[in-house]
Amino acid sequence: MVTEHGNPATDDQVKRGHAHEGPKNHVLAFALSIALTAFAFLAVYYSHVLETWFVLTFIMLLAVIQAAIQAVFWMHLKDRGHLMQRIFLACGALVSAMAAVMAVYWVWW
Amino acid sequence: MSAANAHHAQGALPPEPEKATLEGRNKILGFWLFLGGESVLFGSLFATFIALRHQVLDGPTADQLFDLKLVALATFLLLTSSLTSVFAVQAMHRHDLKNVQLWLGATVLLGLAFLALEIYEFVHYVHMGHAFSTSAFSSAFYTLVGFHGAHVVFGIVWISLVMAQMVRKGLTVVTAPKVYVTAIYWHFVDLVWVFIFTVVYLMGKVG
Repeated sequence: MVTEHGNPATDDQVKRGHAHEGPKNHVLAFALSIALTAFAFLAVYYSHVLETWFVLTFIMLLAVIQAAIQAVFWMHLKDRGHLMQRIFLACGALVSAMAAVMAVYWVWW
Repeated sequence: MSAANAHHAQGALPPEPEKATLEGRNKILGFWLFLGGESVLFGSLFATFIALRHQVLDGPTADQLFDLKLVALATFLLLTSSLTSVFAVQAMHRHDLKNVQLWLGATVLLGLAFLALEIYEFVHYVHMGHAFSTSAFSSAFYTLVGFHGAHVVFGIVWISLVMAQMVRKGLTVVTAPKVYVTAIYWHFVDLVWVFIFTVVYLMGKVG
């Protein structure tokens, strides 16, 4: 990320590969999170005119996108040197997803 | 800048002080391993809730209980607190202790407001006949949402203690990893809430 303020300290960090990001990405992640949340609530508010399967799929998709945005920007997963962090979280997400599938498809069959 | 200069005078705090020492880097990596385990814990609680969410016996259903306006407000509070905690980390990267404390303080206050809403909500539900042992749905609900609430409580206490320690010790290569790790923890708690408002509250309203 490119530095937004031109003081010597940050310029020095850029040279050394420690690009100092401004608040722009994080405010953007916040705005996207609010927007995705609003869409999910709206879909549920209008669920009487929409198909139930569509609303359920739509809000789950929005939740996954929002979680990914927050993990990538706020939890710095996009930054260099985060391979192990990505692996840890991906493994956790994989086990969680398998548990959820088990609960939806197996428990009541 | 004055705070940053003061630290430079004592012996140059590096640009990313949380990763300056091996201990700091190991703390962050170890904390992420813990978060992988936390994901599995919450994943299991979510799976249990999804399996049992229609088993209400004689108790109230999700649709009868939940008030989406309250959930929207709680979501907004927690989302905003996640933003303020990342601002604290950015202030820490600028070596600006005053703003680190300011943003962490804002995070704690927003977390407390969220917690107050949740306590009000739970008391209200119990009055509506939705106690912990009312049904499989109520047990799964209180276990999942209560576990998340307990994480919020722990986060508030933890961040407050880190703030108190920085009043005494300032921003150093020892305190910086603590700021970074508490922020990561707080983001994770917010990330879990994204799935709670979707799976528990919104799906509860849809059916």
